[in-house]
Amino acid sequence: MSQDIAIRVRGLVTRFGKQAVHDGLDLDVRVGEILGVVGPSGTGKSVLLREIAGLDAPTEGEISFPHAESEGRTPRMGVMFQDGALFSNLTVLENVEAPLREHMHFSPELRAEIAALKLSMAGLGADAHHKRPAQISGGMRKRAAVARALALDPELLFLDEPTAGLDPISAENFDIMVKELASALGLTVFLVTHDVDTLHAVCDRVAVLYGGKVAAIGTIPEITADAKGWVKEYFSGPRGRAALRAAGGG
Amino acid sequence: MAATAAYELIEAEDAAPTLALRGDWTVDTIADLEDELRPLAAQLAPGAALDVAQLGRFDVAGAYLIDRTFREGPAGEARIAVRGAHANALTLLAAARKAAVAPAPPPEHPHGFKGFLETVGRGVSAIGEEIIETVGFLGETLVVLARLVLRPQRIRWVSVVHIMESAGLNALPIVMLLSFFIGLVVAYLGARILGDFGASVFTVELVAFSMLREFAVVITAVLLAGRTNSAFTAEIGAMKMRQEIDAMRVMRIDPMEALVATRVIAMLVMTPILTFAAMMAGIFGGLLVCWGALGVSPAMFFARISETVPAQHFWVGFVKAPVFALVLAVIGCKQGLSVGGDVGSLGSRVTTSVVQAIFMVILIDALFALWFLEMDW
Repeated sequence: MSQDIAIRVRGLVTRFGKQAVHDGLDLDVRVGEILGVVGPSGTGKSVLLREIAGLDAPTEGEISFPHAESEGRTPRMGVMFQDGALFSNLTVLENVEAPLREHMHFSPELRAEIAALKLSMAGLGADAHHKRPAQISGGMRKRAAVARALALDPELLFLDEPTAGLDPISAENFDIMVKELASALGLTVFLVTHDVDTLHAVCDRVAVLYGGKVAAIGTIPEITADAKGWVKEYFSGPRGRAALRAAGGG
Repeated sequence: MAATAAYELIEAEDAAPTLALRGDWTVDTIADLEDELRPLAAQLAPGAALDVAQLGRFDVAGAYLIDRTFREGPAGEARIAVRGAHANALTLLAAARKAAVAPAPPPEHPHGFKGFLETVGRGVSAIGEEIIETVGFLGETLVVLARLVLRPQRIRWVSVVHIMESAGLNALPIVMLLSFFIGLVVAYLGARILGDFGASVFTVELVAFSMLREFAVVITAVLLAGRTNSAFTAEIGAMKMRQEIDAMRVMRIDPMEALVATRVIAMLVMTPILTFAAMMAGIFGGLLVCWGALGVSPAMFFARISETVPAQHFWVGFVKAPVFALVLAVIGCKQGLSVGGDVGSLGSRVTTSVVQAIFMVILIDALFALWFLEMDW
């Protein structure tokens, strides 16, 4: 049973000064699923992501990776930050090569080929390889950031607001790309978003953070069935309804 | 710990061979096999199969390497016949085949003598452009300052005072300390060399002349070039990178007025004050040496200064302070506004800013020295 859980969070408390962002939060992410995390601004979605990825330490509580730990490994993770966080003094190809260069002993040739493969999987062609992050569009930067996050073939992929700042068509294509990658590579994806369309298009389950806890978790129909308060507002507001219609109709 | 990757090529008499994979083929394990697989490719006749029954963990990098080996063999782009069952081998091989793309060749850079000439040429033309731009920026700054003099209510006093504190007041201890030490050193030199001529009492004049005319103001300016110029460039450059400057422009806030003029005004006020403090600290350093090494009491020291050092020497040094202040602030702000989108340009602009500022301070000081010499001041 616990082998099917990729990420297990128990009793997580995060305090900044007197303000408690997480207050006894429990969450299970299953192996191979795409979990969407939503919640009002300031409920600590990105903080949760950073804590699971090991960038910040929680005040209290426990974060474990039962699936990987049952095989005696620590899971390899890839993180795509909100603005990409590409190294601006390296080209796109060099950005994806960077983790390979640091940790593996490939020949430069194979390293470049694997980086090109990852970029191609993320939807970036050869014409972008030798451009600097400042020379490509925001959508392409996000794709390059995903390629870099995938460089070391992680089993856990964290995406922080992947479609924020993209036009609807780019966002939709990005969603498709994430879904395809996740199923082709067997990734477990932890996706923080505000985009209701992304939730419908990509996520297997959705977790709603509210009041420092997971207020609801399940598939979108499960959550909307007995939605209350903020959750109800979120999914039945005009944007939520439109997305629901689009998902139902299309 | 991951099992290492291994393989076995099973030859069949009347059929194509089978490549059987063992162990884990992941990004962690395949590095050692890369060289072995190249020659192996030739043996994979068309119809060669891949056996994944005993394959452990598998990922995109491993799939890519296998796929590349098959593609480079005689079978070429033909579909790989996969035998045996594995959780994700088929999907990963398909994904690797579908997305495989050759890395673009790196852009050409000129090499050798031609490249050297090109680099030098670009460097020279960049210096030319830089001079024109900086002079243009100086002019623009002077226009903005003139406009502010006519309408002083538009000066942002809060930021001016804030910059006066961070760029000026906070530099006071280090400026005074350094100047104090220079005063000591000059006095020791004087006591030593002038002593050989039996004229060691002239050490007092040496200290006063050198500190008032040159050292105090130059030390202050060079320190400010390192301390404040770099800060100006980094602050404004970071604002430029984060589009804060653009945000100001669309709100019709003139960055020249809000960022550049405030810094120039703050520097114009603070540099003379710092220079004065540096003069006093340097002379105090000289006084200590004269007292300790030559037996000239402080009262005698000051009496001698007021007797033999006319006030014009103070003004010759002091008048340079506002000029240096203007040059430093203009260079710092100009370089900050020239920062581009990437981290590299921020670093190189900060460097340029400090180097240019120190260079200009020394150059202008030399020009002043020439002029004052000719004027007999």
